Amino acid sequence: MPAVLGFEGSANKIGVGVVRDGKVLANPRRTYVTPPGTGFLPGDTARHHRAVILDLLQEALTEAGLTSEDIDCIAYTKGPGMGAPLVSVAVVARTVAQLWNKPLLGVNHCIGHIEMGRLITGATNPTVLYVSGGNTQVIAYSEHRYRIFGETIDIAVGNCLDRFARVLKISNDPSPGYNIEQMAKRGKKLVELPYTVKGMDVSFSGILSFIEDVAQRMLSTGECTPEDLCFSLQETVFAMLVEITERAMAHCGSQEALIVGGVGCNVRLQEMMETMCQERGARLFATDERFCIDNGAMIAQAGWEMFQAGHRTPLSESGITQRYRTDEVEVTWRD
Amino acid sequence: MRPSGVGTGGAKGQDDQQSSRMHPSQRGSGSAEGEDHHRAPEGQGGPDRGRAVMEASRARPRGERAPRAPGRGRDVAPVAVRRRRGVLVLKFRVPFQSPLEACLARRSLLRDVQRHQGITQKEFAVNGCDLIVRWTAEDVAFIRIPINLFLDQLSLVIQNIQSLGIPPFLG
Repeated sequence: MPAVLGFEGSANKIGVGVVRDGKVLANPRRTYVTPPGTGFLPGDTARHHRAVILDLLQEALTEAGLTSEDIDCIAYTKGPGMGAPLVSVAVVARTVAQLWNKPLLGVNHCIGHIEMGRLITGATNPTVLYVSGGNTQVIAYSEHRYRIFGETIDIAVGNCLDRFARVLKISNDPSPGYNIEQMAKRGKKLVELPYTVKGMDVSFSGILSFIEDVAQRMLSTGECTPEDLCFSLQETVFAMLVEITERAMAHCGSQEALIVGGVGCNVRLQEMMETMCQERGARLFATDERFCIDNGAMIAQAGWEMFQAGHRTPLSESGITQRYRTDEVEVTWRD
Repeated sequence: MRPSGVGTGGAKGQDDQQSSRMHPSQRGSGSAEGEDHHRAPEGQGGPDRGRAVMEASRARPRGERAPRAPGRGRDVAPVAVRRRRGVLVLKFRVPFQSPLEACLARRSLLRDVQRHQGITQKEFAVNGCDLIVRWTAEDVAFIRIPINLFLDQLSLVIQNIQSLGIPPFLG
């Protein structure tokens, strides 16, 4: 019954998780929150992670009721993500692996989300909508790879939401996306925004530029409220995501859809996806904020699968990589 | 810190400028790079004592070479460098409590893909209980950021070692 310790810190969340045989034994996490109107920069984020990671490690072991001897493998996020935060976490993972004499495993962050989503929901072979601040992909498994069927051609949907939040100086606590979601519930008017789907792909930079341009004017003239803008932005970008997911499901003949990633916590997105799935006779799976948002346990879970399949990452190959595609990993643990 | 024993002739003024940013050496590491194999005095070694010794040198005028570091197992980074004028070499030595810790730190501080990779070269070596890092760049501006990053990561490794301790089977 191997137990895997996982470190995650590719963006502004730092988490350490412990997973053993499909059970999450610990999953503490901290979030680096910046003032309204600002985003998180790599250097500051890395500094935050360095300040808390060792305490989180102890917290995870205590919560799991384990010692170093009980851990069989150390997993960490190899990429993709922000460079400085990734390096800070990788340095600790390497040190811990050496001190405890345990094998090291570099995990793809996206695959961490997928494997945790599969574990928690029990979905067997879903079409995955992976949506977060850094990534937007529609993924399906085929022949030992998580294939990317569609993706954003510019910025991630979460990045679009986060940057819009800065325009309105919406609080980043607990996250800008969450606060936009709460404001959107009070929106009454749908403002027409650019809708950009290109085949299986989406584009969010245009809608962001547009809304950044018109927001202040529309608000100052009373044409709409901030809540209306939040509502309109969500409805538009989520509809785009639903369209490309449905297209991928039709292509694959898939009867399951799984939403992962921080934006996957959004209840409105889940509602819209549920409507689409019902119309197709398919089933929708989603997790809650414990596992949707970046966390250490998802890295531990993906690491557990990889460890069981015989993967190892030598120290000499344990460097991080900011650009690490989901389909670069050979998924040997699935048929 | 005294400048290392280089930078004679026209390079001297530049050496002074470079060395003004260095931390004071414990033992006058004024020798040319590679000659100085100082170790922390017994009882004063260890990562938390943080006595990193840095040496900087500018490219020597053509024809002048510093002695190569003697002995097997020493820092074998080339001390005699014939470089283009204006290339800056900065050497950093961090004493640990044991060679084991120094090696562990080196393996943890792998060179991940750096922003200025290709512009700045970084090399690691372990000499006894000392972790030695050497940067080479054409401009001090390209070294400043990697050094800051390195110090942050080094501090984290040291804290990590201290918080978890060296297990008996490794010691």
